[in-house]
Amino acid sequence: MSSVDRPVRAYVESTIIMTTARIVSPFVFTFGLFVMFHGAESAGGGFQGGAIVASSIIVVAFAFGIEPTRQWLDDSIFRLLIAGGAAAFALIGLGAMALGGAFLEYAVYNISHGVKYGIELVELGIGATVAGVIVSLFMNLAAGLTNDADGGDET
Amino acid sequence: MTDALVLLVVVPIVASLLPVLLGGRFDRLGWYVAAAMGVVHLALSATVAALVIDTGRISYAVGGFEPPFGIELVADGISAPLLVLVSLSTLGVLAYARRAGPHSNAFYSELSLLTAGISGVFATADVFNLYVFLEITGLATYALVACGRSPRAALASLKYLFVGTIGASLYLLGVGYLYITTGTLNMADLAVAIDSVGYTSPAVLASFGLIVTGLLVKVALFPLHTWQPGAYAESPDTVSAYISALVSTAAAYALIRLIFGVYTTGFLDAVPLVTDVLVALASVSIVVGAALAVMQSDLKRMLAYSSVSQFGLIIAAIGIANETALVGAVVHLVGHAVMKGGLFLAVGVFTVAFGVRNVDDFAGLAGRAPVVSAAFAVLAFSMVGIPPAVGFVGKWNIVVGAVEAGRWSVAVVVVVSTLLTLAYFGRVIERMYFTAPATLGDTEGAAVSTDGGDNVTEASVGMRSVVVLAAVGTVVLGFVGSELINVIQPALEAYF
Repeated sequence: MSSVDRPVRAYVESTIIMTTARIVSPFVFTFGLFVMFHGAESAGGGFQGGAIVASSIIVVAFAFGIEPTRQWLDDSIFRLLIAGGAAAFALIGLGAMALGGAFLEYAVYNISHGVKYGIELVELGIGATVAGVIVSLFMNLAAGLTNDADGGDET
Repeated sequence: MTDALVLLVVVPIVASLLPVLLGGRFDRLGWYVAAAMGVVHLALSATVAALVIDTGRISYAVGGFEPPFGIELVADGISAPLLVLVSLSTLGVLAYARRAGPHSNAFYSELSLLTAGISGVFATADVFNLYVFLEITGLATYALVACGRSPRAALASLKYLFVGTIGASLYLLGVGYLYITTGTLNMADLAVAIDSVGYTSPAVLASFGLIVTGLLVKVALFPLHTWQPGAYAESPDTVSAYISALVSTAAAYALIRLIFGVYTTGFLDAVPLVTDVLVALASVSIVVGAALAVMQSDLKRMLAYSSVSQFGLIIAAIGIANETALVGAVVHLVGHAVMKGGLFLAVGVFTVAFGVRNVDDFAGLAGRAPVVSAAFAVLAFSMVGIPPAVGFVGKWNIVVGAVEAGRWSVAVVVVVSTLLTLAYFGRVIERMYFTAPATLGDTEGAAVSTDGGDNVTEASVGMRSVVVLAAVGTVVLGFVGSELINVIQPALEAYF
């Protein structure tokens, strides 16, 4: 989509929205972590939790403007989240193999409640990847709308 | 050493992460990571294949949770050759991509992810796990198709995304019906459970319809093929070759696995309508796909429609549902991957070196690029089904199977399709070898950038040799066809 004659609405600060986002987003973030940690024994898990965590960051981006948020959270943080999360999953799985078990066989780690902690770590890893992907998708889409001139679709 | 089975999936996933993590610092890291992954993948798939040849079916319980409760990975005579095929295709495409690109780290991440997805489809023995791997395959493919620079590539990718997602959702819905009725997701366990529920139970019938339709979308059988020509034609040549070789192959394999490993021949006997419909659909696809291929002027689009026709053959073999035809189907899956991948790469070499893409531009190319032209001709004739190449082995077994089952119509359709295949490839080869170039020097050296390529003006030795290797591979596979059949047959015998 090249430069269509559409008036680009400037970002307008709103005290009400900023205050609300500032108060709400930490709770949303915490709730996301809560959902992730519940992957082991009840409804919940990395995908849902990751989406909730990402939404808390997107709320901040809406309230405080997308560019300031981009400066606050650098792109490399999300790269690290995406790769690190999935890598944690793979490493936990491969670690079990190194100890002589099957892939993802948590029991061989020989920690008390090892299975539960193992699943929770894997869920955290998935959550980090999901949150990272959603926020970077959001940032890329937002960049496509605002900086059309310098090819916003560059990944 | 059954660990190799799970590593076939995990290694490519890890390889897809590294370029994301370190891509900012090292510009050309992606290729090296992917190449290392390809070599390791080959070692692993060779290990699996050797184990399968020695001991037969091997199984792996992920996380030590015993099946049917945990996820089970399985390799047998059908999946082991296909896993080796994945490794070899990956290495071949990477050798080609070294010069031809795309060079971005994101591309190699997506390629590794696709390798992981396809390996997973071939390895899994769990119907929900299969859905996950089909989705990984799909998502990686949508992104790879969108690597093309032209806006048409983005459009093709979007279309593929919509249609592919609908297909995957239908599959998932079918799995849901199965799970509600039987309470299990493990394939071997499902086969027993479906039998006890009753083959004609409405839920089982519904699940079959949904699963088969969903997978046929991914296979790109005729009325459901609309995503496929665009996706193959608009993506960069490297991507066209890789996805044409493996993506539909994975879906067709899943279909074989599900129909014969989960629903079993008992279901096909109880509901004979199923095989009739499959054969009818496949026959239409064979003829219409070939006819559409004859009508194309863009060579990549022609090759894409040719795949619609060739996969019709494989679905027809599934509908015939006897051992001979299925052996033919699996051999043709392997053969088609090598032939079609090689053909797309050959077109890529021509496009890079001479800037040609339309059938008419191919006049007199054989004089200017004799080796690649010869390889192209070998691959094309193999696709037609001329012995001793592998295309013949697959088609022959399917025809013999059709005759054994008394389905003469299929045998006739296959013969007709062979003539049509000859028509569309003959047209190209005639121009390459027997037509004088109209305006020599006009296009010479005027390299047109391939979509997504970085203005490569010369085809490297690596690019050419991959095409030649594919051509040699089809002939060698034709000669060792009976050995390949010896590996496949025991696994198929279990189904009958």
